[in-house]
Amino acid sequence: LQAYAKFSGAPLTVNTINNSWRALKGDVPVLISEDIVISQPAKILNFLRKQKYNADYELSAKQGADTLAYIALLEEKLLPALLHTFWVETENYCSVTKPWFASRIPFPLSLYLPGKVYREALNRILLTRGGPPLYSFAEVEAQIHRDAKECLNLLSKRLGTSRFFFGHTPTTLDAFVFGFLAPIYKVSFPRVQLQEHVKQLPNLCRFCDDILTCYFGLTVSGHTPAGQDTADANLQKLTQLVNKESNLIEKMDDNLRKSPQHPPRKLTTLKLAAGGEQSSPLNLLSP
Amino acid sequence: TAAEPWPENAALYQQLREEQILLSDNASSLAVQAFLQMCNLPIRVVCRANAEYMSPSGKLPFIHVGNQVVSELGPIVQFVKAKGHSLSDGLDEVQKAEMKAYMELVNNMLLTAELYLQWCDDVTAEEITHPRYGSPYPWPLNRILSYQKQWEVKRKMKAIGWAGKTLEQVLEDVDQCCQALSQRLGTQPYFFNKQPTELDALVFGHLFTILTTQLITDELSEKVKNYSNLTAFCRRIEQQYFLGHDKDSSATVAARSAKRSLLR
Repeated sequence: LQAYAKFSGAPLTVNTINNSWRALKGDVPVLISEDIVISQPAKILNFLRKQKYNADYELSAKQGADTLAYIALLEEKLLPALLHTFWVETENYCSVTKPWFASRIPFPLSLYLPGKVYREALNRILLTRGGPPLYSFAEVEAQIHRDAKECLNLLSKRLGTSRFFFGHTPTTLDAFVFGFLAPIYKVSFPRVQLQEHVKQLPNLCRFCDDILTCYFGLTVSGHTPAGQDTADANLQKLTQLVNKESNLIEKMDDNLRKSPQHPPRKLTTLKLAAGGEQSSPLNLLSP
Repeated sequence: TAAEPWPENAALYQQLREEQILLSDNASSLAVQAFLQMCNLPIRVVCRANAEYMSPSGKLPFIHVGNQVVSELGPIVQFVKAKGHSLSDGLDEVQKAEMKAYMELVNNMLLTAELYLQWCDDVTAEEITHPRYGSPYPWPLNRILSYQKQWEVKRKMKAIGWAGKTLEQVLEDVDQCCQALSQRLGTQPYFFNKQPTELDALVFGHLFTILTTQLITDELSEKVKNYSNLTAFCRRIEQQYFLGHDKDSSATVAARSAKRSLLR
């Protein structure tokens, strides 16, 4: 989402929602614009487009159709493995995802929410990909990783030597692919099957690094240049990336609109200590 | 083994055509039939009430070729390829990627929408799906089986986030999907111009079934009819691969019977 906003030049202030009991419903990421609250990435994208922040303006009808198709491919073939890597793979979950996620949300939500997301990730994987003729979870895991690798290969072939998927300017599809790819590529997990595979596809790595440097101001080595705002953006981006992947819980945002009497949310922008002390997620960036 | 040639007695299994089969399964079955026709591989359709239970993956259709049983279009395409027949060999790598992406789009949006309409829309479920699904079995087994299936489908819908959708939203998704397919097809005869591929078979299976199946309302088929190149596409494939062959060809029979079959 952040990538899309940057691509289309929308002035988007990213706020980390700290006191979000709404997170119980998993309504992050949330876009707030003049009192209109919107959750769910697809709706947020539509909203941005209607507001004339359209990164797809130059696309032909066919390219628009292609976008939809490739997004379906990502959701079907890549997302299960992504969910697995972040939430289901035990070592990864315990040593990276859970502490990181839990540190971003307030107690006592931090006790409850990671487990909930884990259960839903597992559920989703089992219900959509489990079942005969795969009879053990190990077989399901193997299959989803195979599918993910095939999907990555397809993306690599489609990207070829171009800078972005539809030429010289980035579009919705680039944002989606980046959103799925960057966490796999950049976050250091103990178990890194998928990451190894991505590294073998140099054009995909280049694609991610390009976007990170041009649009997020991160140098490829993962060290942030001096500057509070850039550091803020980095942390927020990483948080948002994880949040986006964990946004399995798609509840209606009608609930939000119908209940204006919600206590005002405490929105805080992340601030790092002035000494530029890096907090843990940044250290997790692999060079 | 892969080296054996395609036998004459290859069979495709699905549920009973007149009384039992549902929209989504009919679409999937038609897609496989279309694919095999396009490959020029003979297949006869066998209807069995318990076809779902015979299938190795629990999903339909499945084909029985020689001494092997393969279910669902994806694996069937690969199986057929291992025997030396392929519709997509002529495509370059980028086109193959595109083809796979569009097939996922159809599965992701059209098939899921069909399942939603059948099982999660209360009126349709009550008036059409439940009576049809359990029809070969005596009461109370028929109700038990269909409620069990409904529960499974609803559970899956919840996991992928479709449970909260309204029928209008689902129809909108169908429209979006059709629009994408229509834009991709453009004025070409097939999705990859002159020759049909498994994508054409899949799209045909679903769109043709949607167009020719009578449901509670016409809302679903109207979505497809909005795109004239898609209806022309269906007609073209029907004429080329199903009509003019033996009169028993399943698509023609399916088309004729589907029009009157879905109302009790």
